[in-house]
Amino acid sequence: MKFKVPIFEIKNLDFSVKGQSILSNISLEIFGAEYIAIIGPNGGGKTTLIRMLLGLEKPTSGEIRIFGKKLSSFKEWSKIGYVPQRASHVDSSFPATVLDIVKMGRTSQRGFFSAFSELDKKLVYDAMLKMDILDLQEKMIGTLSGGQRQRVMIARALASKPEILILDEPNTGVDMASQKSFYALLRELNREDGITIVFITHDVGVIADDIARLFTINQKATICNNPKQVLSCQEMSELYGIDAHLLHNHKHEH
Amino acid sequence: MIEMLSYEFMQRAFLAGVIIAILASVSGTFVVLRRYSMISETLAHSALVGVAVGLVANFNPLWMAVVVAIISAWLIEYLRSEFSIYSDAVLSILLSGSLAVAVIIVSLGGAFNNSLFSYLFGSILSVSSEDVVTIAVFGTLSLATLLMFSKELYFIAYDEEVAKTSGVKVRVLNFLLVSVIAIIIALSIRVVGSLLIGALMVIPTISALQFRVGFLRTVLISLVFALISVVFGMTFSFYFSLPSGATIVLCVLLIFIISLITNRR
Repeated sequence: MKFKVPIFEIKNLDFSVKGQSILSNISLEIFGAEYIAIIGPNGGGKTTLIRMLLGLEKPTSGEIRIFGKKLSSFKEWSKIGYVPQRASHVDSSFPATVLDIVKMGRTSQRGFFSAFSELDKKLVYDAMLKMDILDLQEKMIGTLSGGQRQRVMIARALASKPEILILDEPNTGVDMASQKSFYALLRELNREDGITIVFITHDVGVIADDIARLFTINQKATICNNPKQVLSCQEMSELYGIDAHLLHNHKHEH
Repeated sequence: MIEMLSYEFMQRAFLAGVIIAILASVSGTFVVLRRYSMISETLAHSALVGVAVGLVANFNPLWMAVVVAIISAWLIEYLRSEFSIYSDAVLSILLSGSLAVAVIIVSLGGAFNNSLFSYLFGSILSVSSEDVVTIAVFGTLSLATLLMFSKELYFIAYDEEVAKTSGVKVRVLNFLLVSVIAIIIALSIRVVGSLLIGALMVIPTISALQFRVGFLRTVLISLVFALISVVFGMTFSFYFSLPSGATIVLCVLLIFIISLITNRR
């Protein structure tokens, strides 16, 4: 695995706003087919890091490479699926059916004026099938539950056939049962479809068995290569006492 | 109705009105979904500066309106992205600024007369054949541009950042959208008037949104509402000798109220 070109390669990344450092000296790599969880306290810079990876924020210094290319010259954005934090909070009057939203996932790969091709149709269908929302496709997005919306957002990301899915706490306001099936789906996407998953979450205890590595972001990055023994990651416990505690509880349940 | 259409000026007005209804409602959908409703008001006032220059310097006011509205649209986008000014404040500043400049130009040029009044509130009497040709040509180009990028603009309206991260050229398309809106507004002030065009862009879409249907149906409902309003509004304008912009806006308001009541839940 390590011989391959990493999907993301981040070197000495710094980000500060008005002289105040948000992230400092972050260096990490994300490889194909990995499942990575990112945790850290609120305001610790998790979302900022993700936004920099996606080109939505410019780092103060440092370098980001995507699929071996510099971020500024990277063009194949359809390889990257992004599900933002606010995914499950949608403006309820926005005129969109579930199908309208999932079709958006094909936008940048379709030409101007070009009709929806057979390939587009198939990919949209497959994405909805995978997320088990085919029966919802004519429903208005505003009428869905939080859990259903979450599935729609992932389906939209999947419709572009991404190699990596980046999810920023998309399950805020989603009920427990939906969350569980959602985690199972992420595991399936990772293990069966080989999609790399980068998942910002508060719930790392529940997915500890699924993930390959754990990044803790609190101004600095700490990387745990064996998340199941995450309690032995001294720095992590120091940086992020609460989540380590959660993990601890989780271990006792088993 | 037959009698009304036997007048050539009414045929021209109807032709221009129908084109404008199509343009205003389709572009209006994106305007409303992008939360750009106020931009149409600002651009309409900027277009008045063009009209003023045209009236005073004896250029075609419609052409001048198109040029000035586009410049104003670019200025808005530039100010919004390059300076930390609230975007509603940018719109407000340009709206009053444009109106002030327009009034000073027409006052100095001594053109403060009926002709300006017709640009403020719309007039079915004043649509010339040249106007119809200008509206048809620019209107077709604008509509083609909107349709060409409709799926991108829809995606951006839904979630600008996600659209950007999936490879949609958000910045370029934002400039394109405001340019097209500027053209459509400038074309519309002949018939609807600069003080009232904002309503024809925004209200049909807001009414259509009450039906809570998908994107394509929303656009179509909005289009039908705009057409009904323009046809009835112009008819009332003809029979009661009222400014067409005002009668059109009253029709669209009535449709809005009906949509609101029938879709109440």
